[in-house]
Amino acid sequence: MNTLLALLAATFFIFPDGASGTELPSGDEIARRINERDEGLAVSRQVTMEMTEASGKTRIRETQGFRKYYGKEKRTMIFYQSPRSIRGTAFLTYDYPEPEHDDDQWLYLPALRKVRRISAADRGDYFLGTDFTYEDIKLETRVSLKDYHRNTVGESEADGVHCLLLENLPVSQEIAEELGYSKVLQCVDDRIWMVRRAQMWDLKGQPLKTIHFRDIRQVQGIWTPHLIEVVNHKTGHRTRFRFANVDYQAGVEDRIFTQNALKRGWRR
Amino acid sequence: MTVLKTMVAMLLRLGLLWPVVTWAVDMDTSLVMTGQWAFGTDSGSTQTMNGTLQPEIGFSFADGWRFNTSLRLRSEASDGMQPGDTERDAYSPYSKPALLHKTTELALREFFLQGQIGDTLLTIGKQQVVWGKADGLKVLDIVDPQSFREFILEEFDDSRIPLWTLNIERQIGNWDWQLLWIPDPTFHAIPKQGATYAFTSPELVPVAPPGVAVSLENPKRPERPFRDSDVGLRVATFWRGWDITFNYLYQYDNLPVLRQRLTLTGREPAVTITPEYERTHVLGTTFSTAVGDWVIRGEMGYFSRKFFIGMDPTRHHGVVKSPHLHYVLGLDWNGPSNLLFSGQLIQSWMLKHTTRSTRDRLDTTLTLLMRRLFLYDTLTAEVLIIANLNHGDGIVRPKLRYQWLDHLDIWLGADLFFGDRDGVFGQFGNNDRVLAGFESAF
Repeated sequence: MNTLLALLAATFFIFPDGASGTELPSGDEIARRINERDEGLAVSRQVTMEMTEASGKTRIRETQGFRKYYGKEKRTMIFYQSPRSIRGTAFLTYDYPEPEHDDDQWLYLPALRKVRRISAADRGDYFLGTDFTYEDIKLETRVSLKDYHRNTVGESEADGVHCLLLENLPVSQEIAEELGYSKVLQCVDDRIWMVRRAQMWDLKGQPLKTIHFRDIRQVQGIWTPHLIEVVNHKTGHRTRFRFANVDYQAGVEDRIFTQNALKRGWRR
Repeated sequence: MTVLKTMVAMLLRLGLLWPVVTWAVDMDTSLVMTGQWAFGTDSGSTQTMNGTLQPEIGFSFADGWRFNTSLRLRSEASDGMQPGDTERDAYSPYSKPALLHKTTELALREFFLQGQIGDTLLTIGKQQVVWGKADGLKVLDIVDPQSFREFILEEFDDSRIPLWTLNIERQIGNWDWQLLWIPDPTFHAIPKQGATYAFTSPELVPVAPPGVAVSLENPKRPERPFRDSDVGLRVATFWRGWDITFNYLYQYDNLPVLRQRLTLTGREPAVTITPEYERTHVLGTTFSTAVGDWVIRGEMGYFSRKFFIGMDPTRHHGVVKSPHLHYVLGLDWNGPSNLLFSGQLIQSWMLKHTTRSTRDRLDTTLTLLMRRLFLYDTLTAEVLIIANLNHGDGIVRPKLRYQWLDHLDIWLGADLFFGDRDGVFGQFGNNDRVLAGFESAF
């Protein structure tokens, strides 16, 4: 009895307030809260992509990105601005909410001067030479509700911030193979409902990569990571996305998400 | 890059760019340097060794307009591939590259002003206009002519000849309209006889019987500045997952009609060939869509009349005229791990003719491209195979391209021709080559 009282007392002093002292929210509840977080109707931002090989050799791409929601349909455009060898390359995606409706995607390659229709890439394929998969890019800071069974497995901290540990297990082997992950463990900041760290395991259960969402600040009232870093534990390859000039109120024009805009490119 | 900026600074000091710069709010400059060496495996000697410098300057203005210009300085060390080895009469006076030396030419590649008036986008000046969905070969990508200096082995962006064009684009409802006016009578630049890639196939040039002298006259070019302009219209839309365009072009065919005249010089027969450019109406359509891992794409062009080489040089001046249907159906499959298989069926029909031509009425070509990206997309390995079923000829083009640094790409490749020497590809059966090159861009 004394032991039980001591445990209760310890719990009271260690978790003096908030959710930590109570039952942790369910995995589905955490996922719902993450996806309810305001992302803004539209955003424009400069993204610097740094890809670093294990040897230390780094490639840098400067891009300008736009994203806008049309109801539940999401349209994304990325214009590559440097280096000169790929300047003018642009990538456009129409991402539909219905799972059975494949995304429509186009790529403009300046060397061909043609807009090419490309098939919705395998979700587990890597995006244009980075360590992010197409699915990682598509989700940004959200989580997939349909692909995983979720469990809250504890608490931890990331970059000095308390977070809840959300374990995601693919709903089937087929989905696991599509995504390239057998397990995803996310550390979710329960103050702002944003993933701060995500660890992925490959299909053989080996550690595959870790993504950190850092430099999270409010921009026009919307929580925004300004640095996303991923390291591939198998290859030692790293990718950093640095975000600048993030603007949710700039008024992203509809004509940015067109094939003509792909061809013309974007200039400040 | 520093060199280019210094050049611009010098021009500024001289006052030459001052009017432009005073209005411009942003300026970007770039310089692309390329070099390529190809070794002829049949000839056992260098086939081409060339270098290019392509500086580009762009000015953006506060009202959203921009001005772009780029030059290309190209030097070629090998006989048979030099600027003078390609027919320069194909160019209009205001598009002809300047011949600085036997080995070196300077070409204006871009010189245009682009901006919007209301919802209408205008691009005025020398520019490239690209239509079509086909890879490796052209069906509707015929707005601009091309140089056949290296047959079809050069990148199309390099071989395409930009034209002085008024390009008006506007979105009306769900349709994108593009109207073109091209007062620039420049045509395909064909290698001269004796050049490394001179045409010898009977499908492309008349072949005189042994002992018959052949003389080639200067081409008859259209010379009325306005009436001889080309005009084009394209409307494009995205409908239920399909990208669709409808195209119309009223142009002078970029290939000359080679009319033959048989004469007797003393007792010796002789053939005089007069190249002439003829008008044609082109009606076309393109489409593409994605289904799962597959992309289906195609394009079709109907030419109201096209001129082919006749079997009999005494009938209709050795020319066969026919409406012509040219189309391509393509299927791309994107597999896992950045793997691409892309196949195309390309057919060309002479729809009606009364005399026999040196080519079959139906001509069929198949292409297959296999490409895979490695090392985080820095290494591209690909093989392109083009095969003509009528002649059993074609070309195999393996290539490895590596992005060594952000500013430096290098490549190794080969171009291997096979099949009937009378075929469009087989005619270059002695031109097999291996090659290496680099591109540095700042």
